[in-house]
Order: sequence, then structure tokens, then C-alpha cells
Amino acid sequence: MATSATTVDQLIAAPVARAQIGLWQDAWRRLRRNRLALVSAAYLIGLVVVALVGIVYTPYPYAHEGVGLPYMGPGAGHLLGTDQAGRDIFSRIMIGAQVSLIVGLATQAVVLAVGVPLGLMAGYFRGWIDTALSFVISVFYGIPDILVAMILIVLIGKPGLGTIIIAIAATRWMDMARLTRGQTLSLREREFVEASRSSGGRPAKILFGHVLPNALGPIIVQATLGIPAAILFEAFLSFLGLGVPSPTPSWGSMAADGIHAIRIAPHIVLAPAIGLSITLMAFNFLGDGLRDALDPRQRR
Amino acid sequence: MSERILEVRDLHTQFFTDDGVVQAVNGVSFDLEAGESLGIVGESGCGKSMTALSIMGLVPEPGRVTSGEIRFRGHDLLRMRAEDVRDLRGRDMAMIFQDPLSSLNPVLKNGFQIEEAMLAHKELPRRQAWERAIALLRKVRVPAAEQRARDYPFQLSGGMRQRTMIAMGLANDPAMLIADEPTTALDVTAQAQILELLRDLNRELNTAIIMITHNLGVVAGLCSRVIVMYAGQIVEEGPVEQIFERPQHPYTWALLRSVPRIDAIRHDRLRSIEGLPPDLISPPNGCRFHPRCPFRVDRCFREEPPLEQMGEGRRAACWVTMERAYAEMGAADLADVRPGAGSGVHAIQEVDLPPQNPQQTWGGTEERVG
Repeated sequence: MATSATTVDQLIAAPVARAQIGLWQDAWRRLRRNRLALVSAAYLIGLVVVALVGIVYTPYPYAHEGVGLPYMGPGAGHLLGTDQAGRDIFSRIMIGAQVSLIVGLATQAVVLAVGVPLGLMAGYFRGWIDTALSFVISVFYGIPDILVAMILIVLIGKPGLGTIIIAIAATRWMDMARLTRGQTLSLREREFVEASRSSGGRPAKILFGHVLPNALGPIIVQATLGIPAAILFEAFLSFLGLGVPSPTPSWGSMAADGIHAIRIAPHIVLAPAIGLSITLMAFNFLGDGLRDALDPRQRR
Repeated sequence: MSERILEVRDLHTQFFTDDGVVQAVNGVSFDLEAGESLGIVGESGCGKSMTALSIMGLVPEPGRVTSGEIRFRGHDLLRMRAEDVRDLRGRDMAMIFQDPLSSLNPVLKNGFQIEEAMLAHKELPRRQAWERAIALLRKVRVPAAEQRARDYPFQLSGGMRQRTMIAMGLANDPAMLIADEPTTALDVTAQAQILELLRDLNRELNTAIIMITHNLGVVAGLCSRVIVMYAGQIVEEGPVEQIFERPQHPYTWALLRSVPRIDAIRHDRLRSIEGLPPDLISPPNGCRFHPRCPFRVDRCFREEPPLEQMGEGRRAACWVTMERAYAEMGAADLADVRPGAGSGVHAIQEVDLPPQNPQQTWGGTEERVG
């Protein structure tokens, strides 16, 4: 029996040959098994493509009135018909998709940029930072969202996408800050944080190198589920006439335009409303799927 | 005589809780020399871990070092700025913890975590740091180190994780490594391997090791000197062989008696130490061990015994000391002493106490003051 050193080494190295399975690969594997989340993701990718195509091509100029007769029903010439001013609804839906996606994603980017660092600091350092943050959060929760948004829109005074994004983010950052704070509070007590401190880690390093990566799962889920809420809020603001200024169409303002003629031409309301509903559902299904994939223990 | 790298003097660490002030560490003084391996033993909650965390400057809220002095290689740790202590941590002094799984960040690769300890202290190209991380994993005898460095902690066994932790601790060649119960969470085989590894590293790298454990076997296998702590205080200190051979403090004696021995000739019952460690918010008067001590005398209820020199390199804090118990009872009688407060006291009471206690009263246990 020649049990050479190489054989022993091979034996030792053998289990290493298995596929490298990291946490993200593992999550992806679980997500892939979730049909609804996959279909939703596919739909959202399609929506992004439509929005991107809208930058360079729409069947008709979206802001031109009278590219068709007013109140035309869906048909061959105009896929989704025309609105009261004879504008092509499909072209406007494409541009509206851009608005919705930009608002949804940018709002969450602002929410992440504000909420995550605040939550990390409050949860890690506690003390006055935590007290101050909790107070401000309580104040924001105390004021109705629509009021916060309207005050900000009026204060900023410049209507446009940027204003809307800031206004919506102002109503949504608290949840993210709270979630991150809660995660940090429990993670800061974990031994690996102490281990990092015992090897001389600085607070910034500990927060972004150790705490944040472990809190990323819930944060991603929260951000994903925040997108449809932001989109809905934008549609709501636009419906009230507080959203993106004309002639840029938003699904909300398109629905508002059509509401007067809902009896004779329901498609004007239905097209943006259905688009909105499906998009919101898709984001929510994807968010739920991500939650199940990233935190399998939470599953019932 | 080698360099003295750590001097702890009259260290007090207290926790300010809603129920009162917990005196977790109460007047602890000891030294550590370069390359030495020192064991600190005691039951749970006797202050060993808090002593270590005090040295590292990592006492958790609501605790704080309230007085004393810790000098580490000429630095006065308690009077340094927090940032300067942080620079020492991980570079000159490192600590490894009990549970290697929870001490490793689950979402980071092992190699990355070792690297981090290096990068926190010096500018080093990532590539070089990564290579050193792998070299360190080899040094702590992790097989297939390169692959292991790319693994996540959950992919390793307990022993391999603890090796990774040790590699992290060694990343910057520290002068002192504090190991807080490093083998408690491991199975016996892995325990033995980790101890052997620590022993070799101690010898090869001349890293001083403070081994904190409740396991006397660990101390016997690794340390040359041992400190026995009870209720936040040092009760006995000395070279390992002497302490094991002839403990002076009844607590040490009881602790040794509670360890199962495979080579025991007599099939004695294992003698546990009756009672619980005292409440550190209001510790007992006099000697803190007296409520559980088989050999207590009146004085133990009233006066706290000082930690006195007892021969070469030995200290003990006891009014009676096992030396007298041996002398007066003999080994056979001693072996029959039941665990529990005052059970061996009849044998001791017969004789006079040392002259340093002039007004000794013989009233018995009722005189206990509250």
C-alpha cells in the first residue's frame, strides 16, 4: 500500500473541488425556483426595455396633439387608441414608463443614501445620534405623507422629476433608517464585530465592512418593495396635478386626463391604470421572492 | 530574564447596571513576560474574560475600567487616547474568542477577514495581503489553504474556523495573544490540535499567550504559569506544576478535585464545589470564598486575606492555606473532606492561627457579620 503524500493531499483537497457556493449564489438558486418572481423579473426587464426604446423611438411623437382623432379606441393604427387631445396613448405609455421607473429607482436610491448611513450610525453609536434620529423619524411619521410631499413640492418650487423624487423620498426614508438601525443594533453585538474591533478595525470599516454586508438582505428587500410604493405615490401626485409637469406624461396624469371621459372612452384610464397595476404587482412579487431567497429562515 | 510586556496593577472593572454596581474585576494585579504562556482559570463569571477585555480596551457597556493601571510595552493603556489603543489592538495585542463561527463574519471569505486585520494597520498591496493571509492559514496548519481562503466560514469545520481566528490574531505578529476559551466550543480532538498549535506558535514566534479557560487540562497542557481567579480577584498564582501539585488556596484545591482524572488510583467520587459564585453586586464580607470554603475560620468572615507571597513565584490569598490543611489533616483525611461550607473546619479549628491575628475569637459560624 503506497499511501504517498500526494494521495493524502488529494484526499484533503477533495472536498474543495465542490462548487463554490456563496450566499448570493445560494439566494439566486432559491430565487430561480420561484416562478412568480421570475415572471415578474422578466416583465420588469421588458418594461425597462420599452422605456429605453422610448428614448429613441415612439410610434408617434408623444406630446403631439392630433396625431389621430380624439377618443379613438385601440386598433391597428394606434395600438392603445388616442386620448382626448388625439395623442397616441401607446407612445405616452412608453414615456410614462420612463417616468415611473426613474421615480421608483431614484427615490429608492435617495432613500438608501439617506436611510442606511443614518440607521448604521444610530444603531452603532447609539447615544445622542440615536435619540435625535428616533425623534426626527417620529416627527416625520406624525405628518401625513401627502402633506410632507406637498410642502416640499411647494417649498422647492421648481416642478420636475427631481422635485418629485425628493418629495417622495422624504416620506419614505424613515422605514429604511429604522430597518437599518434595528439590524445594526443586533449586529453590533455579534462576536465578529467584537473580533474586528479586537483586531483594530475602525468604526467606518466595521460599519461598512461587517455590519452592512450582513444587513444587506433585508435592505435590498425593503428597497425593492419601496419602488412600487414610490411609483404609486408619483402616480397619485400626478393624478392630483402635483407631479411631472405637462407635456411629459406620467401614468398618473394620463389617468387623470381620461377620468372625465371614462364612460365614452374607458381605455384612456385603463391603459395607464393596468400598466401601473401590473408593474406594482411585479415589483411586489419580486420583492417577496427576494425576501424568501435572501432569508430562507423567515419562510413559514 | 526576559522583557516584561504587560503589567496590570490593581485593576478594577465595574458594570453599572440598574440593580447596582457589579464589581467584575476587583483589584487584579499581575505581570506577563515576553513569550510567556499564562493561564487564567476560574468558574464562569469570576472575571477572567473581563480582565482580558479590560486589557484590550473592549469592555462592553455598561461596564468600564474604574481604576488601576495597565502597562503594555511601556504604553499606559488606560490613559491613552482611544484611537491609539485601537492602533495597538490587532497589531501588538490580539484576541481570539470562544465561538469561532460567530466570531467570523458569515458573509465574508475567510482570507478576506485575515487580510482585514493586516490592512487595518498598514498600507499593504491587496495582493501581498492576500498572499500573507494564505501563508498564515498554512502556518496554522489549515490544509489546502488557498482554497480555504476563498471559502466562507460556514464551509469550515469548527477546528478550521478556530485556526482561521488564530490566523487573524497572528496577522500582524502580535507580542501578546489573548485566547478567551478558544477550545470550549470544539470537540476533544480539535481541542487537542488547537492547543498543540498554540503551544508551537508560542515557542516559534515567541508570542506571549494569555489563555483564559475554565478547563484545567488546557492550562496544564499549554501554560507555564497560572492565575486562579475567584469573584473578580486573584486567589492564587504560581508555576503550573506547583499549583497542580500543591495548591495553596482551598478554591484551587477544590477546583482541581472537581476535575475527573483518568489516572486516579482511588475511585473517588468527583467532588464538585458546592454553592454558586457570589453575587458581585454585594460580595460577601471577608474572604469572598468563605461561603463555600470547607476550611474557613472566623477570620475569613471578617477580613479579606491579602494576596501574599508564598515561596518562589507563588502568591495566594487565604488565611488558612492548604499548607496547613495538609499539615494538620494528612492526605487521606483531606481526600474525605466533603464539599461544602465549613465541612473541613473542625480539623483546622483545633490549632492556633498565625500570630498576625491577635484577637482571634472562637465563636463559630454564628458570628458572621452581614
